[in-house]
Amino acid sequence: MLFIIEDSINGILMGSIYGLTAMGLTIIFGVLKVINFAHGSMLMVGMYVTYWVVVLTGVNPYLAIFIVAPVMFLFGYYLQDIVIKPIFIAEKNVREPITVIIVTTGIWYILDNLVLLVFGPQYRSLPENPLRGQMLQFADMFVSVPKLYGFIISIITASAIYWFFQKTTMGRAIRATSMDREAASLMGINQFKVYNIAFGIGAATAGIAAVTLVPFNNVFPTVGVLFDIKGFIIVVLGGLGSIGGALIGGIIIGLIESVGPQFMTATWTEAIVYGLFLVVLFVKPSGLFGQKNDW
Amino acid sequence: MALLEVSNMTKEFGGLRAVDTLNLHIEQGQILGLIGPNGAGKSTAFNCIAGVFPPTVGSIRFDGKDITGQKPWNLCKQGLSRTFQIVKPFGSKSVLYNVVVGSFATTNSRTVAEEKAVQVLESLNFADKKDVLAANLTIADRKRLEIAKALATEPKLLLLDEVMAGLRPGEVDEMVEILKNLRDRGITIFVIEHIMRAIMALSDRIVVIQFGKKIAEGTPDEIANNENVIKAYLGEDYAVA
Amino acid sequence: MNRSQINKLAGIGVLVAAFALPLIIRSATYLHILVLLYFYAYLTTSWNLVGGFAGVLPLGHAAFVGIGAYTSTILSLQYGISPWLGMLVGGAIATVVGVLIGLPTFKMRGAYFALATIAFAEGIRVIVENLDYLGPFNINGPRGLQIPPLETGFTNFMFAGKEPYYYIILVMLLAVLLLTWVISRSKLGYYLNAGGEEPEAAMALGVNVARAKLIAMAMSSFLTALAGTFYAQFSLYIHPKSIISLDLSFEIAFIALIGGRGSIAGPILGALLLRPVGDFSRIYFGDTLPGMHLIIFGLVLILVMHYQPRGLQEPLTRLYTALVDRLIQKKEVAGRGKHGIA
Repeated sequence: MLFIIEDSINGILMGSIYGLTAMGLTIIFGVLKVINFAHGSMLMVGMYVTYWVVVLTGVNPYLAIFIVAPVMFLFGYYLQDIVIKPIFIAEKNVREPITVIIVTTGIWYILDNLVLLVFGPQYRSLPENPLRGQMLQFADMFVSVPKLYGFIISIITASAIYWFFQKTTMGRAIRATSMDREAASLMGINQFKVYNIAFGIGAATAGIAAVTLVPFNNVFPTVGVLFDIKGFIIVVLGGLGSIGGALIGGIIIGLIESVGPQFMTATWTEAIVYGLFLVVLFVKPSGLFGQKNDW
Repeated sequence: MALLEVSNMTKEFGGLRAVDTLNLHIEQGQILGLIGPNGAGKSTAFNCIAGVFPPTVGSIRFDGKDITGQKPWNLCKQGLSRTFQIVKPFGSKSVLYNVVVGSFATTNSRTVAEEKAVQVLESLNFADKKDVLAANLTIADRKRLEIAKALATEPKLLLLDEVMAGLRPGEVDEMVEILKNLRDRGITIFVIEHIMRAIMALSDRIVVIQFGKKIAEGTPDEIANNENVIKAYLGEDYAVA
Repeated sequence: MNRSQINKLAGIGVLVAAFALPLIIRSATYLHILVLLYFYAYLTTSWNLVGGFAGVLPLGHAAFVGIGAYTSTILSLQYGISPWLGMLVGGAIATVVGVLIGLPTFKMRGAYFALATIAFAEGIRVIVENLDYLGPFNINGPRGLQIPPLETGFTNFMFAGKEPYYYIILVMLLAVLLLTWVISRSKLGYYLNAGGEEPEAAMALGVNVARAKLIAMAMSSFLTALAGTFYAQFSLYIHPKSIISLDLSFEIAFIALIGGRGSIAGPILGALLLRPVGDFSRIYFGDTLPGMHLIIFGLVLILVMHYQPRGLQEPLTRLYTALVDRLIQKKEVAGRGKHGIA
C-alpha cells in the first residue's frame, strides 16, 4: 500500500512537469488554432540553453529560469514572427491552415538535427549535480527532490499564466483573439502581434519546463520527441487550449507511468497511455476540460 | 400547403436565447423576407432550418415532412439549399468545379453534373467565367457563384443569407432580377437581407424579428407602415420616406 | 500535333522508359534505389488520397505499412499462406483500423486527426516492441521478423534478382496512380476536395464530409498496407523501429507535401526529387554531418510552404506547359516556313 502512495506522489510530481512541458502547446493552440509540432524541439532547445547556462556560469540550475525563460520567449516570438507569420498571411482565407502545421514540423526537423550537428548525439547531464537522485524521506516513503521542485514551479507557472490571461490587458487581448480573430482585429488588436506573444509565452513555458527537467533528465538532441508525443496526448486528454487541462492531463499520465509498473511491465504503461488517449478521442473528443464549441 | 413551416422554434446558446418561439411559414413559389436589426437572430434561425445545429425547442416541417435536427447534407438532397453570409467558395478551384460539386447532389455521373452546372451558369449569365478560379472573382461574382452552387443542387427552397451585402446599387438591381426569375421558375425563396430597397422590391411577405422574437409579419407595404417595426427597427427616417 | 497528342506521347514515352529501365540498368544497387524510389512514390500517392484530397494531415501512415508487413509475414511464416493473400488480409485489417481512427476525428478540427494518427502509430510501435506473441501470432518484439529464403517464384513472392520486384512495384505504382486519377474525376474526388477546402459550404451542397473522408481514409490505409507486404518481401527483414517509425510516417507526408498534395503528379514528383537528395546526402554527409538530409528536408519544406504552398508540382507543371507551348509554336512556324518556300 505504501508503495502505491509513494508511487502516486512521485507520479503526481512528474505528471505536473509533463503538464508544464505541454502547457505551451495548449497555449499556442488556443490562440493560433495550430498544433505546434516544434514544441518538443523548443523544449529541447530550452534544455540545452539551461545546460550551458549552468555549466558556464555555475549558477543553481533553478536560478537559470531567469535567463532561460526570457531567452526562450524571444526565440518563440521571433520564430513565429519570421518563419510562421508569412504563411498565416499567405493563407489568411483558409480556415485551418494545414501549411502552418507543416512548417512547424519543418522547424522540428531543422532544430533537432541542427543541435545534433552542433553538439553531437551524446547524452549530457549536469556535472557535480547534487540534485540528481536526491530524495526526501517521509516515514518510509521517498520523494524525488528535483521533481518536487518541478511540481512547485509547474503550479506557480500555471497560476501565473492563468492570472496573465484573466487579469492583464494583454492577456485579455490574446483571449479575445483566440475567440474571434476578426472581431478582435476590428477592435484594434494586432492579430499577428498577439500570435508572436502567444508563441513567445509558449516557448517561455517550454523553457521553464526545460529548467525543471535538466536537474534529473539527460540532455540530447532528440529529447524533445519524447515529450512532444506525450504533450500531444496530454493536451488532447485535458482539452486543447485549456491550461488547467494540460496540468491535469499531465498528472494523469504521470500517475499511470508511476503506479502502472506495480501491476505490469513498465513498458506496457506506455501502451495504456495511448489506449487512454484513443478512448478519450472516442468518448469525449473535446477532452476533459476543453470547450465543446472550440472545434 | 406551406413548403416550410417553422413552429415555436427556440435556440439557446448557454442560456442566451438567440431565437425565441419563432413561428413562420413559406408558401410554395413565394419569396419570404426575414429582416431585423443586427444580432436579432436571423442567421441563427437560418442555421437551425438548414441543419447546422438543431433548435433547442420547436419543430421544422419541410415539404410535408418533419426535418427538425436533420443534417445539412440530407436536407440538401431533399431540396433545401442555402448560401452563406460570408461566401465560401472552393477558392483553389474553377467556377465550374464549384458548381459541379452542387450538381452532384442529384447525379453520380460527372458528365451529367457538368452539363447541369453549365446550364445553371448560363441561366445566371455567368457561363463566360466558368474557367476562372473562384478565389479570383469579384465580390459580386462570388455572391453569384454562391447562388449558382446552391441552384445546382436543384432546390425546392433556397435560403439566401445576405446575398446582396457589399454589392453596388446596379448590382443589387441585377440580383433582384435574378431572384425574381428564380421564383418565376418555381423555386421558393427565403431571404435575409439588410438592403431595405431590395427586400421591399423582392418579397411577397416579410417577417421582422427583434431579440429573437417575431414582431411583425405582412406584405412589404404593411411592414413599411407597421408602427412596431418603424419604432423598433426602421427608425424615423424610413417612416418619413 | 496538338497539346493532348503531345501529352499522350510524353506519357507513353515515360511508360516505355520505366518498363525498359531494368534492361539498361544492370547494377543491382541502382535497381535497389529505383525500387525504393517507386516504393516511396507509391506510399506518398496512397497517402495523398486522404492527406491531399481530403485536406487533413495524416502523420501515422507507417502504422499501416507495419500492419501490412507484419500480417503477410506472420501468415506466411506461421501458416504458409502466400504473401499475396496475406497482402490482402493486411490491407483489410489496415482498412478497419483506418476507419476506426477516422470515425471520431473527422468530425473535429484537423489537428485532432493529425494527433490521433501520430499517437496511434506510436501506440502500435510500442505494442509490437513489447510483445513477443500477440495471441497465437509470433511478432518477436523489437527484434523483428526475418523471412527465410523459400523457393523462388511468384506464389512465394520471392525472386532471385531485383527485376521482378522492380516490375511489381512499378505496376502497383501505376495502378494507384490510375486509381487516383479516376477518383479525382469522380463525385468522391469533388466531394473530398470541396469538404477539405470549405467543409461547411460542402455540407450545404449535400456533401457528407466526414463520410467522404472516411472512404478516402479506408482506401488509403488499404493501399498503404499493400506496400508494407511488398517491403517485407523485398527486404526480407522487418522490425518495428524501421517500418513503424515516426520518421517513416513523416517522410511520407513531407515528400507528398513538398511535391504538392492534392495533385496527381505532386507526390510522385516529390519522391523523384527528394528521395535522391535524401539518399545522396545520407551517403555523403551521413558520417560527418549526421542528420544533414533531415535539415535539408526541413528547409525545403519550409521554403516550399512559403513560396509554393501547393507544392513543387505547380511550377513544374507550368514549366512543362510552357515547353509544350513552345514545341507547338515551333512546329507551326516550321510548317508555315515550309509552306512559304513551297
